[in-house]
Amino acid sequence: MAGSVVGAGLIVEGEFTSDEEVIVDGTVRGTLTTGEAISVGGEGVVEADLQASSVTVAGQVTGNVNASARVDIQAGGRLIGDVKASRLTIADGASFRGNVDMDV
Amino acid sequence: MAYASVIGSSAVIRGNVRGDSSLEILGRVEGDVGVTGDLALGREAVVLGAISGARILIGGSVQGDVTGTEAVLIAETGRVVGDLSAPRIGMSEGAMVRGSVRTDGNTGAPASPRGSAQRERAAEVRPAAAPAERSASERSAPERNAPERNPSERNAPRAQVHQASAQRPASSAAGVQMAASPKPAFKKQPPPPVITAPRPGARARKKLSRR
Repeated sequence: MAGSVVGAGLIVEGEFTSDEEVIVDGTVRGTLTTGEAISVGGEGVVEADLQASSVTVAGQVTGNVNASARVDIQAGGRLIGDVKASRLTIADGASFRGNVDMDV
Repeated sequence: MAYASVIGSSAVIRGNVRGDSSLEILGRVEGDVGVTGDLALGREAVVLGAISGARILIGGSVQGDVTGTEAVLIAETGRVVGDLSAPRIGMSEGAMVRGSVRTDGNTGAPASPRGSAQRERAAEVRPAAAPAERSASERSAPERNAPERNPSERNAPRAQVHQASAQRPASSAAGVQMAASPKPAFKKQPPPPVITAPRPGARARKKLSRR
């Protein structure tokens, strides 16, 4: 299963929970929780707290990120918020402002 | 997949979903959904709120008004509690719908407010009740011409009214009330026929007495 895809142009506002992968190329505001991966694409905008096993940021995220496995901020990605994860990578060219807590 | 956005089968959204995208919902949305593209609800999908889109295909369950700017199609597994409006509406056998249905071109506004939907519903009830009212007044016309003859004859038309309303179950209580209520009004004002009725007899009697 592909899980959920918030495509370009779509805006989801509120509490979004899932047990599957969530791909965000549109906009999510509120909270986003899944047991699987969250991927924020290059055009994706997230103004929400994220909780997932892993989070990949290529677009814009404003909110706290809590990942049980890992967080990857890719080149061009922008994350403003605190990160709580055992592994974190920040690619060259990514922007990030916030606290990091890797002591999970 | 044909749809740019997908809300997965395990996904639950408490809030609104909107935007310029086509969307397939396989999970649950507790809120309004309004997109300018096509919208599809899978068999297991549940939406508690109004939905709007260009072409809407419903295989799941919706509790709220459904507004399609192009079409609304309800599959055999579809379930809608709410009003449907779209230029084209299709329903498969087995689909369940409770609400008013409008196939108009005039559905440009997405997710019309609840108030207007109720006004539309009230407007639809009226024409259904009107024929019953008309037929009741037609039926009472002969009653007016021949008043106060026989109590059993007077009761006969009333029985017809009940039969007529029983044959028309859709018009329900409103139709029965409309058919029954004009009667006392006609009984209160029978003078014209009562006065006109004896006149020919009196003239005839005068003619006879002259001869």
